[in-house]
Amino acid sequence: MLSEASPTGLIEDLFRRESGRLVSALTRLLGPSNLSLAEDVVQDALITAMQAWRFEVPRDPRAWILQVAKRRALDAIRRDRRLAPLPPLLESEWTVAGAVDSALAESETAVSQLAMMFSICDEALSEDTHVTLILRLLCGLSPAEIARAFLVETQTIDRRLHRGRTRLQQLGALVDVLDIADRDARQGSVMQALYLLFNEGFHGSNPENPLLPAMCADALRLVELLLDSPSTRHGEVHALAALFCFHSARLETRLDADGVFVPLADQDRSLWDQSLIHRGVVHLSAASSGTQVTRWHLEGGIACEHAIAASVEQTNWQRIVDLYDALVGLVPGPVVALNRAIAIAELRGPGIGLDLLRALAQEQRLSTYPFYWAALANLESRAGRSAEARSLYERALGLSRSRAERVSYERRLKLLN
Amino acid sequence: MPKYMFIFRGGAPEIPNLSPTEMEAHLRKWYAWAGELAKAGRHSGGQPLDDTGTTIRGRNRTVTDGPYAESKDLVTGSLVIEATSLQEATELAMDCPVFEFGGSVEVRQVIQHDL
Repeated sequence: MLSEASPTGLIEDLFRRESGRLVSALTRLLGPSNLSLAEDVVQDALITAMQAWRFEVPRDPRAWILQVAKRRALDAIRRDRRLAPLPPLLESEWTVAGAVDSALAESETAVSQLAMMFSICDEALSEDTHVTLILRLLCGLSPAEIARAFLVETQTIDRRLHRGRTRLQQLGALVDVLDIADRDARQGSVMQALYLLFNEGFHGSNPENPLLPAMCADALRLVELLLDSPSTRHGEVHALAALFCFHSARLETRLDADGVFVPLADQDRSLWDQSLIHRGVVHLSAASSGTQVTRWHLEGGIACEHAIAASVEQTNWQRIVDLYDALVGLVPGPVVALNRAIAIAELRGPGIGLDLLRALAQEQRLSTYPFYWAALANLESRAGRSAEARSLYERALGLSRSRAERVSYERRLKLLN
Repeated sequence: MPKYMFIFRGGAPEIPNLSPTEMEAHLRKWYAWAGELAKAGRHSGGQPLDDTGTTIRGRNRTVTDGPYAESKDLVTGSLVIEATSLQEATELAMDCPVFEFGGSVEVRQVIQHDL
């Protein structure tokens, strides 16, 4: 049984997975007009599990939840037959149990969650709404938790959920990824949403909780689902999965025991998760099967070089700079330019890095981005100008968004003395 | 040592949208609490109860569906512990996580004949 001493997150992870899987499967079965019924059934099943597991966790917790969810779904269908239009198979007592069984079967896990994700990532809805709906319907987060992760009011999240649900309910059925006209456009939005989801977990804006590992794990789980169907299994999906694997591998070393950010150079590489790095390498090689090089290929390649290097000094900076050069061409933007300048500084010295960084000083987005000022400070200090470095670190300190950032800059200021 | 039964009523959260994180957090409190009891040698096992069932009553053995209770009064499980007195047993129940979602605990001595 799970005890006090068991690693935290086991039940949470199970509940998140099952919640996403079951809500998707039931919505696919009952039709999106019955989305809230599906959500209620699953919520009820999870609460029942929680109540029953207070004294002991069952031997097969997943099977346990599935059993309860099936029973609850059947009860709800029988009760609500007169309320909502249901598919014919559910109208008859002869077929209803079999229909519920097959809809909730293990083999439907990927199909139903893909159908849900592709239905959510509709171009009529904003990117923020896509991510919000994914977190709610496929990861089980509460509106309050989503609001905390994105630093917005819960009402904002409620409004997005309302817009999203209304749109979903207009669909007669969840989309079928094997058979939709705008599949490629939707796939782009799905991948973008998962990228945002991962980033929120990796460098979140939440001041108390700058790292949300569960969110990163959800993004990886969901992107790998895209590899399950021949119609969505593209090279770029492998590339995005590779990117998530490499970043996830060093997630735990980004914060020290005091919850303070650790710079890449000081992270304990022996603690990086080798199995995730290996999984990333496998994905990255599979990613080259296509003909197109996307931003995910380039970002995955950069993350790979960092993940497989023995130290900052032994990193293949030439290759990283080449990848950034290509990335700047593909997705121009100040943050990519900032990271490219840092890589060039590693390759060719702080002087040229400083020139490139200073040239970005007019960028609106960077002027309030503490990491920009900290990068400048770092290069100034390496060029031997500690007075300049000090005032730049102070600027970064003033802009820091969490304790994890603030203390990390304070430490670097102390090192200048 | 005398045995006492904790009878738990209610305690199912009525908060909508309770998330997996919050559900795990609640369960961990139960495991921590039961762990403390076990460490003190007081714990001898709990039983969760499903919230559906039948009730049979009267000379005619009339069977009805479900327990007769409002959800807050519904018995949702029990746990037998050892304590020196009713007072001590009551104190041991004070930290029970059932109160988090508005449940209650009834503490009753188990009558043992072989004392």
